[in-house]
Amino acid sequence: MEILVRGLVNGVIMAGILGIPVMGIAVIYGMTGIINFAIGSIGVFSAYITWYFMDRNVLLAILLGLSCGFGLGYLIQVLLLTPVFERRKGDLNLFFLITNSLGLIFVGLTRVIFPRPTIRLDLPRLGSLTLLGVSLTGMRLFAVLFVVGCLLLLWLVETRTRVGKSWRATSQNLRLAKVVGINTGQAFAVASGIGCMLGSLGAILWGSLYNLTLTTGFQLTFTGYIIAVVGGIGNIIGGMVAALIMGMVISFGGYGFAGAWQSVVLYGIAMVVLVLAPKGILGSERSV
Amino acid sequence: MSELVLEVRNLSLAYGATLAVKSISFEAFEDEILAIVGPNGAGKSTLLEAVAGLHMAREGSIAFKGRSLTGTSVFRRRLMGIVLVPQDENIFPGMTVRENLEMGAFRTRRGNVKQKLQYVFDLFPRLKERERQMANTLSGGERRMLAIGMGVTGEAQLYLIDEPSVGLAPRIVTKVLESLKTLQRDTARPIVVAEQNTKVLHVAQRLLGMEAGERRFFKSVGSLSQERLKELYLGLCEREREA
Ligand SMILES: Nc1ncnc2c1ncn2[C@@H]1O[C@H](COP(=O)(O)OP(=O)(O)OP(=O)(O)O)[C@@H](O)[C@H]1O
Ligand SMILES: [Mg+2]
Repeated sequence: MEILVRGLVNGVIMAGILGIPVMGIAVIYGMTGIINFAIGSIGVFSAYITWYFMDRNVLLAILLGLSCGFGLGYLIQVLLLTPVFERRKGDLNLFFLITNSLGLIFVGLTRVIFPRPTIRLDLPRLGSLTLLGVSLTGMRLFAVLFVVGCLLLLWLVETRTRVGKSWRATSQNLRLAKVVGINTGQAFAVASGIGCMLGSLGAILWGSLYNLTLTTGFQLTFTGYIIAVVGGIGNIIGGMVAALIMGMVISFGGYGFAGAWQSVVLYGIAMVVLVLAPKGILGSERSV
Repeated sequence: MSELVLEVRNLSLAYGATLAVKSISFEAFEDEILAIVGPNGAGKSTLLEAVAGLHMAREGSIAFKGRSLTGTSVFRRRLMGIVLVPQDENIFPGMTVRENLEMGAFRTRRGNVKQKLQYVFDLFPRLKERERQMANTLSGGERRMLAIGMGVTGEAQLYLIDEPSVGLAPRIVTKVLESLKTLQRDTARPIVVAEQNTKVLHVAQRLLGMEAGERRFFKSVGSLSQERLKELYLGLCEREREA
């Protein structure tokens, strides 16, 4: 019984941490139809910035990292991705190459600017509390609450506000959105900014639990991408359900099989789901 | 003397190598409804979409209130007051009827939105009944009403309406076309409407006849007898939909 509760709690926590980059990928894809494979590397770059300024003021350092993620995502969309998109709509291969190259550029930039191959972010533990007999640091709990909060906020914005509705409109019918006078370029840029900001938060949390290396970014992106596809890419709720399943697998897997088997089981499950349901668990309006 | 709003000069438009519109010229004045008529594939939609900024000109130019529109994006043209109701994919499928209308009014001054929505609901009471329904569950005719409604909620300097009567019951067709007249009178803005239904002869001031991308005639309705007009019109549309 205790193992079950512990497993469940840890699974939810894991899902919260995995869910952040997944949400980032889903927000960008849902709006623009582009899968940005650079968000993990941009996230790690931002996390290095947070790490660099951490001695001065933790909170400010985190905010700086997140702003950097948002700004980079926004600029990349405006200067590069949207102009290419206007000419070569829906060319998935092209965007795969462009965003992966971008990812590599940010890995390189991280190496040039911060000559430290591995870092660890010592975020404040924010105290700890015991939940159902499992002791947790505040930071882990924060990850879960943050994901839930983000989902709620996104839902409220998209259904209640004029701007949020214009985002939904843009994702549903881009041409008509332009025709009614929605600034779709800006909507794309904001989505890209939010997505990369979530990637940065994912990297920061990851760096506080494990280590961050130059290649963690691609690991984050790829795991996030697979989970997003399993959930039904662009479908945020589907992505969160998939993150929950994967979180549980990791958590309970810890008792059943050794760490080395984890990726075999995880990606094995992903493959089985995609064979059975190519559009993911909850489906997606656009398909990959 | 009424003001010149739209001036199209020798405009040619192409999809890849095939010309869809061949050196078309026409102009629209402030106080008129101009109907573009012609058979399927004549290039009516392509022409209207080009005015809204969705296609780049192969040759020729479009001027709006004396300013050239070359290089002006769809978004900017909408801010200038060019409102297009497209023929297809003209609603946001996953939004409610009301949300769709709100999006149509996205660039309408806040204070006027309520009144604009009321105007649409008076025009199509059916939409009022279905305010909270998802747009992708509407019938074809209801969708058409919604699309027109989205255009009407916009504050326009120029309306471009593509085939408003397609898929509507005959009684509604008359009503919709009459409503264009009302809209023109109430707003004092020109309406350029692509239409295949002959009933448009009762509301338009001028007719631009197109076939295979070319201009066949450009005539003032008042200058001709209804019989002559119908002849011209039927000469273009071999297959007429309904009397
Ligand atoms: N996306 C496209 N790619 C290639 N050709 C196209 C495209 N859209 C339209 N065309 C062609 O351009 C020509 C003009 O089409 P358009 O839609 O403007 O005609 P239309 O007068 O609006 O016809 P309808 O009354 O059927 O709506 C047609 O021959 C059509 O096949
Ligand atoms: Mg057409």
